[in-house]
Amino acid sequence: MAENTKSIMAGKQITYGLYNDETDMMAAVKHANVKHLEIMDVFSPFPVHGLDPILGLSESRLHIAGFIYGLLGTLTAFLGMTWIFTKDWPIVFGGKPYWSVPAFIPITFELTVLFAAVGMTFTFYILCGLGPGVTNKVLDDRITDDKFCIAFDESEVSRGEAESFFSSTGATEFHSKVL
Amino acid sequence: MSTYISDSPTHFEFTSRHRTILMVGIALGVICLGMTWMVDDDFHSRFWSNLLHNSVFFTGIALMAGFFLCVCIMAWAGWHTVFKRVWEAMSMNLLVGLIFMTIIALVTYMHGNHLYHWADVAGYTAENDQVLIGKSGFLNKNVYLGFTVVFVGLWLFFMSRIRNLSIAEDSDGDASFSHHHKMRWYAALFLPLVGFSSAAMIWQWIMSIDAHWYSTMFAWYTGASWFVSMMCFTVLSLIYLKGKGYYPEVTDEHIHDIGKFIFAFSIFWTYLWFSQYMLIWYANVGEETIYFRERMDKYPILFYGNLIVNFLLPFFVLMRNDTKRKFGSLGFVAGVVFVGHWIDFFLMIKPGVAINTHHALGHGAHGDGHGDAHGHGAEHAGDHGHGVADAAGHGVEHASEFILGTSFPGFLELGTMIGFLSLFIFVFFTVLSKARLVPTNDPYLEESLHHHV
Repeated sequence: MAENTKSIMAGKQITYGLYNDETDMMAAVKHANVKHLEIMDVFSPFPVHGLDPILGLSESRLHIAGFIYGLLGTLTAFLGMTWIFTKDWPIVFGGKPYWSVPAFIPITFELTVLFAAVGMTFTFYILCGLGPGVTNKVLDDRITDDKFCIAFDESEVSRGEAESFFSSTGATEFHSKVL
Repeated sequence: MSTYISDSPTHFEFTSRHRTILMVGIALGVICLGMTWMVDDDFHSRFWSNLLHNSVFFTGIALMAGFFLCVCIMAWAGWHTVFKRVWEAMSMNLLVGLIFMTIIALVTYMHGNHLYHWADVAGYTAENDQVLIGKSGFLNKNVYLGFTVVFVGLWLFFMSRIRNLSIAEDSDGDASFSHHHKMRWYAALFLPLVGFSSAAMIWQWIMSIDAHWYSTMFAWYTGASWFVSMMCFTVLSLIYLKGKGYYPEVTDEHIHDIGKFIFAFSIFWTYLWFSQYMLIWYANVGEETIYFRERMDKYPILFYGNLIVNFLLPFFVLMRNDTKRKFGSLGFVAGVVFVGHWIDFFLMIKPGVAINTHHALGHGAHGDGHGDAHGHGAEHAGDHGHGVADAAGHGVEHASEFILGTSFPGFLELGTMIGFLSLFIFVFFTVLSKARLVPTNDPYLEESLHHHV
């Protein structure tokens, strides 16, 4: 997940366990919370409902950025057309006034959506370190397919602690890896 | 098949306190309607337009509740199942709608009111009104009465069948889900029926008040207004019921989804509001612009206030995630938007009725007294070159007149609305109390109980 991109890049010794089912994984996360084991990250092939609050993740601020991009689009379109049609190149369309607000609305709407969508997409890509030509280090290929993974940083949770945690919470397998 | 067991009350209790308060509300509505009749003009246009306004508004809310329930059934949706009895109970208000709309249609049939210009003029000729001749196959008293009775009756029939099946499923539902399969059949027939007939009824009931004008977006626009109002009523009733200890199973997650519907359909409504306006503004054809000219010149507060209350408020307040989950913010927006859409219907109906009444009264007054007002209205209306130019002339002539109840909702309108709302809630509570709140054997109940967004 986005928040931990830097820690993965730093080259850490990671212990991770794989679960077959998201309910097992969720139960394990709750168990880790009870035992105060600091989870580095959780990986799943699809978004798991209710995982964010128990991992203690704060709400994403991406939508605030989206609102600002949208507002930027609104202003760009509206002020742009206002300038073009009243100052730069006034043209009479069908006897309407130069500053015809109803005619501006569809384009204002479109640019709002465009700016918000494109802006949020790029922000998300940059935050997650994604993009063309970027190769990502992946703990295990199957976490993009059918496995649910809990990962511990060995500097925070020792390998022994992590392994006993994995075997007691029903992980099907666990490994250690440097990323 | 395991039956869901709840530790909260299984049935809603319609207490005598509820009954008393609602009866007072209904009485207020009756008194207001009576007073409206007394202070009215010769044709009681304020009375009839208030009756039409509220009947159409609340019938539409009942219809949309049934419509959306069927949409959910057909979409294999499960999120709403835990509170689907609320929509079933709301849709039973179609009975009230059938009664009121039939009364209006019958009185229109007998020329007892002057809501509709097309119903006033007895015989059109090519000289006096080419437009209405073209529409007379659809805009005539037989079609109006027939469609109203048949379609509202059919809506009521379908929703009663679906509700009965749903309740039967509570007691003898089994793993074959035979009740649910039957419900799907009814829902599948109901949806196309509503799709076409609701548009036809909206044209007849509301759009034909401005008989010369038409907009292909009007049915959608009105439907969206109904839909948002229905969702607002749903969320307010759920907040109330939860406050009384019912429906602990309905969580923030369900409320959140309804909040999203209010948000999304407010934007949809605005899209239609604007598109209808912009196309007419752009084309600039006199026959079409007159509709907005009337409203923008004579109803500026309501016209622009409509957009602020029904678009800007829900758009900016409900944009955030948390405001859709908090009962305070969502309930506030739902309440304001509900009234906002009621005013939207006011704005659709009253300006046209004012013009029609002005015509009917103006011409009818030439006769000797009002003993046979409609006859005079009808015969004299034919003498004059009716049409848009005439309507526009009268519109401009009276632009500065402010008439309470026509130009702006007065206390009588508000009281009538409270009366209709009380009646709506009365029927809603009565029906709701007759069945289990949570449909125990519904195949989607488990999904609904674990709903998470």
